[in-house]
Amino acid sequence: MVVREPLTGVDLSVELCGMTLRTPLVPASGTLAKEALGEVEGVYGAILPKTTTPSARPGNPPPRIAETPAGMVNSIGLQNPGVERFMQDLDAFDLGVPIFVSVAGETVRDFVALCERVSQDERVAAIELNLSCPNVEHGGLTFCAGPAAVEEVVAACRAVVPAKPLFAKLTHEGVVGNARAAESAGADALTVMNTIPALTIDAKKRSVLVRGGLSGPAVKPVALKAVHEVASTVGVPVLGGGGVTSGVDVAEFMLAGATVVQVGTASFVRDPGEILAEFSDYLREAGMGAAELTGALR
Amino acid sequence: MKFYTVEIEERREFGAYTLLSYRWPGENIEPGRFVMARAAGYPITLDPFLARPFSFYDFVDGVASLLFEVRGRGTELLDRALGTIEVTAPLGKGFEIGVSGGRAALLGGGIGVVPLKILGRELAARGIAHDVFLGFLDGKTAAVADDFPGAAVATMDGSTGVHGTVLDAAPDLREYPVVYACGPNAMLAAVKGAAGPDGLRQLSVEERMGCGNGSCNGCVVPVDGGYVRSCIEGPVFRAEVLAW
Repeated sequence: MVVREPLTGVDLSVELCGMTLRTPLVPASGTLAKEALGEVEGVYGAILPKTTTPSARPGNPPPRIAETPAGMVNSIGLQNPGVERFMQDLDAFDLGVPIFVSVAGETVRDFVALCERVSQDERVAAIELNLSCPNVEHGGLTFCAGPAAVEEVVAACRAVVPAKPLFAKLTHEGVVGNARAAESAGADALTVMNTIPALTIDAKKRSVLVRGGLSGPAVKPVALKAVHEVASTVGVPVLGGGGVTSGVDVAEFMLAGATVVQVGTASFVRDPGEILAEFSDYLREAGMGAAELTGALR
Repeated sequence: MKFYTVEIEERREFGAYTLLSYRWPGENIEPGRFVMARAAGYPITLDPFLARPFSFYDFVDGVASLLFEVRGRGTELLDRALGTIEVTAPLGKGFEIGVSGGRAALLGGGIGVVPLKILGRELAARGIAHDVFLGFLDGKTAAVADDFPGAAVATMDGSTGVHGTVLDAAPDLREYPVVYACGPNAMLAAVKGAAGPDGLRQLSVEERMGCGNGSCNGCVVPVDGGYVRSCIEGPVFRAEVLAW
């Protein structure tokens, strides 16, 4: 267990949907294994484990990852043991901070069933709908394909989750329209953004290496724009993320309008505690608390 | 993932391979475990972005050594590193040693010879008899065999030792109660077949890794019913577990 210097003199706490988070950092779904939790104690304001699905998914065959300049492309295929086993193991993610659970299904019914199952559990503080997976009832377009698709699934989930915060995680394409739809369907907050669809090719073998989602510092400007546009459009809070790799990156996302900032791929190459320490330094220098930073662009 | 800056203690070349060593003040390093390493940390190296996994080559008197072949930019920068590199703490599950009696065969293919050095040292320290078989592409990669006294060597081009694969340099593996191997998947599958199902058969896989701490799920290998991460459940697996 890493012992950290107390980050004195800086108020890192933020309010999100009635919850007080001790820091504005939250792991992006799919980037924090339970085996790595010991390294992040005291860093995150909430924990967000890898997306769970109705039944177990083996995930995609390797290769699943390819490095790209300032980033990586991944195609994991939502490998997970299924929601029942996931809930049995949830205690492993208890670091004394709220647990947000990310869910994904192939149909609206899947999402509804997952929300019903997960929201009943008192260990779950909020639910994030991972809307970037293919909707098998709509020709494989994702649940993020357009406002109608977003509205349908969010409204259906909202109906069965009356009392817990519900977040909709959106991709950057069409994000403003989708954000409006999610808000009007009752989402309490929006997570912006997911990875960007991308392709890597092995020229030597003349074959596709990995077709998946691009993440890492390379996507940061795209994510910042999406967060800024969404935060300027909707009234609900935004969990912003995409390529956040330093404390200054955290500040930039909050300035763009994020209330909470998700750290994903960067945690593979840095200690997230260093990112929080840098963010604390930024706040100290600015003479501000974390919560004051949201949307504070001059 | 937490990285530590460590000073390079020694840099040496064995033909096509480079050895880098550094002082590691932490726990004893068990054979078969690995480390994520890179020439420098964020923000100096945004490209290449990810660290690279390396099995430990050796660990003597608090000095850990890595041995690698320059395959791309990550290893190229490590090869040219001056002064310091960045490493994680030792990761993964290593070889099971002493759980089963009898003579051990150690087989390495190409850069897969790496964990056999530290493994051989540990076996010798425990008085466990073992034979080492090393297979290489050519004479340049086979140069490291000089650091494995008594090992039988094969090269694909016949320039050093037996002409053929590591299996051509080894006797019937079914005679060995214990078999350890590291190398490309095709070689490991061949070793698994040649060694047969009886006895302790352990294979150290070489997979691309993103994080090294189980988070990215990128480094999986197939097992019955799905995939497991080579960084957490491996990189050393019992042969019967792997679905190839």
